[in-house]
Formats: sequence, C-alpha cells, structure tokens
Amino acid sequence: MSEPSTIRTVSRFESQLLRIARYIVKQLPVDQAQRLLLEKIERPPCLSADCLHLLKDTLRKGMILYLVRAGGWKRDRFLRDGVGKFGRLWERIPVERLTLSFGKPTLELLLWLTAAKVKEEKPFWRSEITRQSVGDQLFVFLTYEAMKQNDHETGASMRTSNVCMENALIRLAYAGDFASGNRLPVPSFDIWLREPGIYILEALQPFLEQRWLTVEREKSKIVDWNEMNQQGIAQGDVLNAYLEGVEKANRRDLGRFLVQVLSRIFRTNDVTPPFWVGGLQGAGPARLSERIDTHRNALSVVRQVNRLRGWQNSARTSSYMDEDYSLNQFWLSEWDRFDLNTVAERAERVLQQVEPLRMM
Amino acid sequence: MSRAYRIKVKESISQDLSASDEVCSDLEILEILPGDAMAELLAEELKGRGFTEKEGKLARTNAGVTVTVDPQNGEVNVKAEKQDHVELETEVEGWGYDDVGPKESSIKKSLTESAKADLAKRAKRQQDRLQAEATEELEGTMEDVRKELNDAVNAITREALKRKAAQMGRIKEMTEDPEAGSLTIKVEV
Repeated sequence: MSEPSTIRTVSRFESQLLRIARYIVKQLPVDQAQRLLLEKIERPPCLSADCLHLLKDTLRKGMILYLVRAGGWKRDRFLRDGVGKFGRLWERIPVERLTLSFGKPTLELLLWLTAAKVKEEKPFWRSEITRQSVGDQLFVFLTYEAMKQNDHETGASMRTSNVCMENALIRLAYAGDFASGNRLPVPSFDIWLREPGIYILEALQPFLEQRWLTVEREKSKIVDWNEMNQQGIAQGDVLNAYLEGVEKANRRDLGRFLVQVLSRIFRTNDVTPPFWVGGLQGAGPARLSERIDTHRNALSVVRQVNRLRGWQNSARTSSYMDEDYSLNQFWLSEWDRFDLNTVAERAERVLQQVEPLRMM
Repeated sequence: MSRAYRIKVKESISQDLSASDEVCSDLEILEILPGDAMAELLAEELKGRGFTEKEGKLARTNAGVTVTVDPQNGEVNVKAEKQDHVELETEVEGWGYDDVGPKESSIKKSLTESAKADLAKRAKRQQDRLQAEATEELEGTMEDVRKELNDAVNAITREALKRKAAQMGRIKEMTEDPEAGSLTIKVEV
C-alpha cells in the first residue's frame, strides 16, 4: 500500500509565484503565465514552508530538464584535466559536482515578477551580482528568455537593468540585444569557467551554436548601417572576452559552438560578404572609413577565425615534453574533426574581401 | 494708432572648415627573412617609390591624400584631408509695432537667433560638401594605392626569396617572369 501524498496548501500569491517559476524553467506554456506577469498583486511579508518546498521541487526538476534538453543529453567529448572525455553530461562528470544552488536573488526576482506589473517596472536588484550563485544567474538567464518570449517590450525593459547587463551568460547568448551607441563593458565569465558553471556551458553548446548561427543568418535582413555596426561591435566584444576566458581556463573545447557555427556557414566555397551585409540599404555613412568599419564589424564572428588559427599554430608547435601537450593534441583533433583548415581558408578569403587594400 | 517699423539684422561668420576620411589596413608580408630584414626591405622599396621617412614610418602625400606605412608591422593608413575657408553673411528682417506686441529688443534678439541658425545651417552644408569631397578623393585613390602597395610587397617578397636562397647555398639559376609574377630559383645546397 503506497503512502498517501502530502497535500500542500499555498496562497493565491504563492500559487502565481510557483506558476511563474514553472514558466521560467519551461515547464508551463507562455499563455498560462502571460496574464500573471501583467497583474499587480500585493506581496506578502513572507512565503510559507509549503510554497518554498514546491519552489525547490520546481527548480530542481526544471533546471535538470532544461539542461538535459538544451544539450546535456548529447554524447560528445569535452576536456577533463586536459584530456578528452566522451559521454553525456552526467557521464562525463560525477553527479554530485553538478550541484546548483539558488538563494535570495532567485527568490527576490520571483517575488518581483509575481507582485509587479512586469511590463511597466524595471527590475531592481538588491544584492550585487558577485553574490549571486551560478544557479541564480542561470535563473536570471532563463527569466530573460521567458520575458523575451512573452513580450518584446518586457524583454527590452528587463535588458536595461543591471540584472541582465551584468549577466555574462545572457550577454553571450544574446549579444546583439545589447548593441547600442554606448559600448557596454562585458562582464567577467569567471563564474562560468569554473565548477559548476563550466558544466552548464558544456550543456549549452548546442543552444549557443543555434543562437549564433541564427543571428549570423539574419544579418542579411539588417538594412540599417548603424544597427549592423553596433551589433557587430557587441558580438565582437563578447566573443573576445569569452574566448580569452576559455583560453585562460585551458578549455578551448568550450569554443566549440563557435567552431560549429563557422563550419556550417562555410560549408560551401561560395560564401561572400553579401551573406552578412547584402541587406544594407542606401549609400551608408558619408565617410568611407565608417562604411568599411561597418562591413568589418558585420564579420566580427568570422574574424574569430584568426584566434582559432592562433590556437592551431601554437598547438602545432607544442612538443611532447610540454605541460599542455595533451590539451594541444585535443585542439588539433578538433581542428581535423571540423575540417577547420578549409573553414579558416574560406573565412579568411571573405575577410579579405572587405579589406580595401588587399589584392584578391 | 500703432506705428509699424521694420527691423533688420545682419549676421556674418568667418570659419575655417576641415574634413578628412581615412582607411587603415595592413599589408600581408611573409616573413621569409627575419622581421627587421623584411622591414628594411619594405622601407627601401617605399623610399624608391617616393615615400619619405618620418618617425620610423614612411609617408607620401599626393594631391591631398597621404599614405603612411609602418614597415615594422605593415600597418597602412591612407588619409584624405581637405581644408576650406567660408565667409557667410545673412540678413533677416521683421516687423514691430510701437504700442503693441514684443519690444524692439526682443524682436532683434529673435531675429539674431534666426540669422545665426541660418548661418549655422549653411556652414553645415559647406562642411558636408567638403566631407563628401574628401571621401571622393580617398575613394578615387584607393585602387591605385592598393595596386602600388601590392606591387611593393611582391617586389620585397621576390628580393627576400633571392636573399634567402643565397643564404641556403649557391644559386645556380634564377628565372623571373614579372608579367606572370613568377620567380624560379635553383639552389645548390
């Protein structure tokens, strides 16, 4: 005979909070949460134990499902102590090291989302982002995605708060969203390049590949020169910071999403600059230097091939006696796996086509 | 009975205008010889083409367009600059009434602001025109500059290959076809 399940009772506010939490971790469709985000409801002084229990359960199950679906399920190899290890995410690393914690920042955000009229109020943040755990920052990332899906205006409003601007994962996944006349500093990726954040980056490689590929493909729809220029600059700044971080952490495998984006774009030999800038309308800025800069910045993702080439060159000169020999061997095998020689040649040819002084 | 009177305001400006446009890029130089030796070859080649050395860089100005090359790192800057001097004047007039409406001083102030705004607009148009001319000059020279710099790079590449070959052994035979851009060197090692 099975034990009777415990029935937990929550208030109306707590019920809405839990439904919003489920929506954010992609366990509830948007139409069931949309109305809740538009309502203003009075915030209680505290949450009940039942509510907290259910919230923990939601976060626990929701995050696991999200990371598995995003890419954790895929069998692939990633570096472990300088050596490649193959398998699904939970096969490559002991489960106990895949622990995420969620604290006050997650709770504060949920309380704000439930109580406030989300569309009309900019989220505040009481604690500094440095005190947020990886789990909290991942929750903010999912919240931003959810708000973008819910309403373009809500996403735009949230984007202007430090909650989003200082979240390196949001900036990596949605670099173009932060393109503006004022060049925003890129937050540090440190928290994502050590445990457990680094395993989230592994799981999100397929998601990041799809995001960046979509953005590159949609560049040909951009008609405004200034918009193209700013998007390219924002992308370049984020990628530079990210790749510098992965290089420093000896985790070049985490640049795989970029490698795959470039491989897919340069699958054929007929890619030319109009793939990116073909949609730009009009003569552009008055000065030639600004037009050239716009074209160069449109190719800020392609330009990363120079860094990958640098990794390749340094890996080739590595000797058996070097400490990072196995790391370099791993990178060389990645280079062959994705035929990066061919990809790099095609990419470099495209980069030359936007250089005014290079003879073709 | 109110009496109307005409108010005329004259404003003028005298302004120096300048506009520029530039392109920065870098030359692709193969390190056949050590970096310093390649830099020296490039500097000599460019001097032969009319460039003069200044603060470690080679520069040449022709018809308002300056090409500057840093032989150490191959950075190139092509800049077009234009200057002009404009003297503009304008006159605006308005009407005032001696018993109603704003006072003469405030009418004059308003007319002066209007005149200055008109001059500023005309000066901006002149600035835009000058900028367009500078950009057009730059665009007009790009093809020639590109060809010349690539010729220079090819020349130093050939020379570097010859010197490298001489270092490796005895040159038995050397055939050069400038039209086809080929160089064949047979070296006895």
